[in-house]
Amino acid sequence: MFILIGQWVATPARNRRLFRHFVRQDFLGQFSAAAAGAFWLFITPVIHILIYSFVFSYVFRLREVADFGQTQFVIFLIIGYLPWFACAEAVSKSTNMLLEKAPLITKVVFPVQIIPVVGTLVPYLTHGIGFCLLLAYMALTGHLSWPWLLLPVVFMLQFLFTMGLVAVLSALCVFLRDLQQLVSLAVTLWFFLTPIIYPVTLIESELLRELYLFNPMHSFINLYREIILLGSFSHLQLGIAAGSALFSWLLGGWLFMRIRHAFGDVL
Amino acid sequence: MTDLHPRIAVNNLNKEFRIYERPQDRLAEFILRRPKHRLFHVLNDISFAVADGQSLGIIGNNGAGKSTLLKLLVGTLQPTSGQIEIVGQVAALLELGAGFHRDFSGRKNIWLNASLLGVADEDIRELEEQIIEFSELGYFIDRPVRTYSSGMFVRLAFSIATMVRPDILVIDEALSVGDMAFQRKCVQRMQDFRARRKTMVFCSHSMFHVQELCDNAIWLDRGGIREIGASDKVVGHYEDFCTSKKSYNTIRSDVPELSEQSAAGDEVQDCRINSLWVRDTGGRELSSLTPLQDIVLEMEVEALRDGVEGYFGFAFMKSAEEPVASFLTIDTEGVETGPFDKGEVFTVSLTVRNLTMRVGGYYVLGGLCDDTGLLWYETRYSKLLTVEPSKGIGPMIMPSEWSIRKSGPSAPQGR
Repeated sequence: MFILIGQWVATPARNRRLFRHFVRQDFLGQFSAAAAGAFWLFITPVIHILIYSFVFSYVFRLREVADFGQTQFVIFLIIGYLPWFACAEAVSKSTNMLLEKAPLITKVVFPVQIIPVVGTLVPYLTHGIGFCLLLAYMALTGHLSWPWLLLPVVFMLQFLFTMGLVAVLSALCVFLRDLQQLVSLAVTLWFFLTPIIYPVTLIESELLRELYLFNPMHSFINLYREIILLGSFSHLQLGIAAGSALFSWLLGGWLFMRIRHAFGDVL
Repeated sequence: MTDLHPRIAVNNLNKEFRIYERPQDRLAEFILRRPKHRLFHVLNDISFAVADGQSLGIIGNNGAGKSTLLKLLVGTLQPTSGQIEIVGQVAALLELGAGFHRDFSGRKNIWLNASLLGVADEDIRELEEQIIEFSELGYFIDRPVRTYSSGMFVRLAFSIATMVRPDILVIDEALSVGDMAFQRKCVQRMQDFRARRKTMVFCSHSMFHVQELCDNAIWLDRGGIREIGASDKVVGHYEDFCTSKKSYNTIRSDVPELSEQSAAGDEVQDCRINSLWVRDTGGRELSSLTPLQDIVLEMEVEALRDGVEGYFGFAFMKSAEEPVASFLTIDTEGVETGPFDKGEVFTVSLTVRNLTMRVGGYYVLGGLCDDTGLLWYETRYSKLLTVEPSKGIGPMIMPSEWSIRKSGPSAPQGR
């Protein structure tokens, strides 16, 4: 078990060159297919943000969010939405990840576990750029504070959390293609069960709010908002984030490594 | 063919696939822990070894398990049981251009593909120009791979895979693509590879290439090794198997009598063939034949009543229904036709020159017929005689001579 986990953790480092080529291929591949390339990649979250902003701050008149120092709703939304989008994209793409690489997996010998790693990294890179732009804007408008140093750590933890999930889903989809539909449905559900477009404090029931602690994405998004807007963070949320990240990353990786030898038979 | 230090050693390799009737059966089996699959044996108990510097050809009908065996060697499939030991770096050409990204240029794909094969960046930089040159892509190397013709695609893939100089090269049907000029380059490249004493495993339907490029060959039949040995021989036997309508398994049951008994049974006989044999011209009895050999077919006949008259005949048979060649005395002048007296024993011999069969197993049929040439008194089969194949292709061989005449420098053609 530990050998497999060790291999999983060491994958990017041990296959540095291949890893780099794969990331470059996937990252640039997103742009080269369509004429407007990069444009489509960034326009999707922007349009979504505009839609939600219109519905919530104009139609529902939720202009400002009280818990985070009277922040504008748009800012509140974007801080939660961009990291979410990276995670959601990685998870939705995970179902098809190994299937579309089937010729490679069955015909060429290489560390297969590199695929979920790359598949998770690429959306995080892409939307990390957007997130950095947001951070720059926030810094310029005077929100910069010492706890910001934690932001990369939180982002990294979220990345590891996603990677474990992606590893499991991508591997299972090889055997169970129905999972594709299930996952896209689950991602939508997950989106609304995570306080992205609403502050969790809007929920009146105390019990229900406690239940949100079982959703790691809630903790990640809450951490971003606390750190960026308030310059402080809750240790409980950080604990949940770190714990869930390590758990998902290692367990997901282990499962993937366990069943990767069967891929060739099924693909 | 085993060596002290085999590059590839395969022991008791088995591979089976689980076949599920419906995809949901897989899920059901997983959850209910109750088997819902049928097992399909692709490879049964395969063992062989390839010594360093040797090359091995794998031949066999479609579905014999060739590709599965190659995938197991390369490591993209895991054996159900048995061991595969491989020493050194393996490069596989199982599917040409499997790792290509269609939207990227050929040049970028060289980098990606070579790094998949485990080449260091410094080496790729060095090899890049050679690969481009070998693939003859020229200007197209910087165009997206999706714009390539299938020939260009294959050329690029082959160039990359062989340029990285692995210890062991595994090739599946790679030579059947590309134009003639490129095919020649491929063969050359593979011969270079052999000359540098690298190990190669090569699966092809081109018997010629297997003979030319491989020291040894394995003939796979329905998942098992049918024959393993020098490539000339194995290819010959395989070709013979393919050209004969019957398989070896059924040929023996087709031959009615292989024992000492005669075909006529209890009826009152006119005559009897006591024995039948095949000798070389020196008089030694043969059990296997060599192409273009001169051989003598002989049978000892005993007349069982007075006044037996008739003709003699020999034939080469593939099976009871498949004659290959026949020799009859009916139209041949000057051969004695009798009458023979009861108890008289005589030997009939026929000299056959320049045996034209190149491969295969044959029975010699000897017989006597009555004076009408229609009723056979007696026939008798020899034991199976195998022709030890020589190099070449096709079922036949003919005595031949070569000559090349030079007619001087060609003069300019008048108009």
